[in-house]
Order: sequence, then C-alpha cells, then structure tokens
Amino acid sequence: MNQRHEPFDTLAAVYALGALDGEERREFEAHLAPGCARCAAALAQHAATLAALAPSAPPVVPPPEVKEALLDRIGAPAARPERARRGRLRWAVATAAAVVVSAWFTGAFVAVRYEAQLGQMARESAAQRRELQRDIAALNDELAPYRSAAELLRDPVTQVVALRGLGPSPAATGRVIWHPKAGGHVFVANLPPLPPGKAYELWTIGDAAPRPAGVFRVDAQGRGSHRIAPVDDGKPVKVFAVTLEPEDGVQAPAGPMVLASK
Amino acid sequence: MANSGADLIKGMATGDREAFARFYDRYAPLVFPLILKIVRERAEAADVLQEVFWEAWRGAAGYDPGRGSPEAWMVTRARSRAIDRVRARRRRGEMFVAAVDETLAAAPDDPAGDAAVRAEERGVLRSALDRLPEAQRDVIELAYYGGLTQTEIAERLKQPLGTVKTRIRLGLERLREIVQPL
Repeated sequence: MNQRHEPFDTLAAVYALGALDGEERREFEAHLAPGCARCAAALAQHAATLAALAPSAPPVVPPPEVKEALLDRIGAPAARPERARRGRLRWAVATAAAVVVSAWFTGAFVAVRYEAQLGQMARESAAQRRELQRDIAALNDELAPYRSAAELLRDPVTQVVALRGLGPSPAATGRVIWHPKAGGHVFVANLPPLPPGKAYELWTIGDAAPRPAGVFRVDAQGRGSHRIAPVDDGKPVKVFAVTLEPEDGVQAPAGPMVLASK
Repeated sequence: MANSGADLIKGMATGDREAFARFYDRYAPLVFPLILKIVRERAEAADVLQEVFWEAWRGAAGYDPGRGSPEAWMVTRARSRAIDRVRARRRRGEMFVAAVDETLAAAPDDPAGDAAVRAEERGVLRSALDRLPEAQRDVIELAYYGGLTQTEIAERLKQPLGTVKTRIRLGLERLREIVQPL
C-alpha cells in the first residue's frame, strides 16, 4: 500500500539534509504543502538525528558581542549610537541594582561595597574594550596588504616576480605580485637602512622609459611593502626595479639600483 | 528553577527578554561550533549566529514541541542559514574560488583551528559517522558540513543521482539507530 509513497520517503531524507534541489525539491514541497503526516513525521525524525550530530563539531565559545547585539536589538525601540557599550553598561547597572536590593535585606554596607566594585568593573571593561578595538584596527591595517595580495593570487593571470639584490645590496630580495589590470604589491627584505632624506622608489619598465610606481620605506630589518597602482595605459610591464632616491621621489631614476627582476 | 528549553521558547513568545538571554546561553554553545564548521570564517559565523537567534526570537510563537526538540529546532535553522551563506559565497566566487574550495573540501580541518582540539573532535565525530559504511558517510558529510546538494554530490563523487539519494536515506536511517537507540 505504501508503494506509491516510497519515493517521497527518500526525498524526505534528502530534503531533511538540505540537499534536495531542482525539480525534485519543488515536487517534494508541493507534496508536503497540503499536509503529509508520514513525511512530516519523517522530517521531524531526521531533524532529531541530524541535531544529535551537532555536538561533534569542535567546541568554540560563541562570540559574546552577538548576545549583546541581540539583547540590544530586542530591547531597543529605535536605533541609538554606541549600542553595544550602552547595552553592557545597562546590564552592569541592572546587575548592580539587583545586588543592592538583595543586600539591603542583609546589610546596607554590603551594597555600598558591591556597588562601587561593580561600577569599577564596568568602567574597566569599557576601557578594555576600547583598547581592544584600537589594537584590532591597527592589526587590520597591517594585514591589509597581505589580504589584498592573497586576493590577487586567486586570479590565474596574477604573476609573482622575483627581485634580486644588485650592486650595493646583494643580499636584498623582493617579490612583486602583479595583476595586469589591478596592479599589485611589492614585498622586500634585507634592504639597507635608508639614509636621512632618502626613500626607495619602485619603477615599472615596459617598452618605453621607466615609470615611477611610488616610494616606500623599510623597517629596521630592511623589510617593507608597497601597493603598486595599475599602469595607466595597461601596457605590459617587463621589468620591475627599485632605486634609492630623494624621499619625495623623482620622475626618472637617478640613484643606484638596489633591486631588479630577472 | 530549571526551565526546559521549551519553557524558555514559550517565554520568548511572550516577549520575555530574560528567557531569551537564558535560551541563548544554553543553545549558542551548541549551534555556534556547527555554524563555524560549515561557514569556516569566524566573522561570518557570528553573523549567521545572530541571524539564527533573531529568527528564533521572532518565530518563538510558532514553535511546536510536538514536532521536535528545541535542539532540533535550532540546529535545523542554524544548518540551513549556514548553508545558505556557503552557497551564496560559492555562487559569488565561482570563478576564482572553485580551486580553493576543492582544497578546503579535501582538508576539512579549519586552518585556524587548534590541531589537538581538532583531532579530538574528529574522534568524537567519527564515533557516530564512522559506524556508517564509507559510501553513506561521504554523501552525508558533503551535505552536512559542505552544504552540497544531491546534484553537486553526484558530480563530485561521479555517482548516479539515484545512488546518492539512496545512500543519503540509508545513511540517515542507520544514523538514527546509532544516535537514538530505542
């Protein structure tokens, strides 16, 4: 008697797993919509089985800011600035108030003590939060060129060009990650420290004269990175080179060449 | 007073903020690791987590305890939203990301994850999934964690669609016996 329902039992399993697609999905949903007790029961059963697999994902602490944001969203009649911090303070104040009320029955002096402590904790956590946000912003700035380089590397037309040290700086090395349309990045290491008033300048060389591609500095270890804008006319770049120039940069290379491709 | 998950959802349906806070504390640690495992990116996983709990708050009145446990209610929602993200990302990044995606699928461990925790976790996961025949386990893992549809699984495993469907059904039926012994 269940012969005709049999195919739907299979579709119910695939549907519960979220893997049913195309025409079959529409077909199954059309079958389900008017109400099929057998499929509803099967779906509930499969959902319970799949839920039981969830705890096998590696344990990770859920981000606390999500809870704050949600509680704020629930309690907030309208958008306000600084939602998260005010939400947290409101909770701290509510907690402090609860402590005060219960302590009132056992002794008012306890309340005074906890109130002061909780107030201080709230202030400290707000300060820590601001500090963390600054740190995160600074780290993100530092990461930006690497992220951008990694993005470029996904595109098969992106080239990675090695730079070798020349003349005054044989130990220097570098890499250019170059996309013909999007431009790229240069990463260098082991360049000598810059004399005062000087900077390194990158050049892109095609068929015509070398074109300036920006100046950059290096840190104490001789490392540096620099974003390269795309070439205006989109003509292919054959050689990348770095020279030592005045810190504002020049329009044609004049100083010694410290790095070059090929 | 120990409220059941169903009581908390009932409280949420009447607009009880405190019930929601407790509901979050109880179920976020269950669904967040799963969401993270599927979307693989912490910021995006946090987004999905917020979306899932917001929907739970808005949809609390529609919860019917007769149709499933709060765990199943939340896990179903979490998987579905996480998979939506993964699929949207796959569509957006189709051109360049396909190769990367393949590599990730071949190495299911999150590169940011702690190796020891991962190893332990895979041990636990294996205890439930490993008792399935390999052919059934593969199709279920690709759908459960990879968000692949039956057609995509058939293409990837180079198997007929009918075979994939049958393996999913048999695998789920077997898993049911493993995780919910009667």
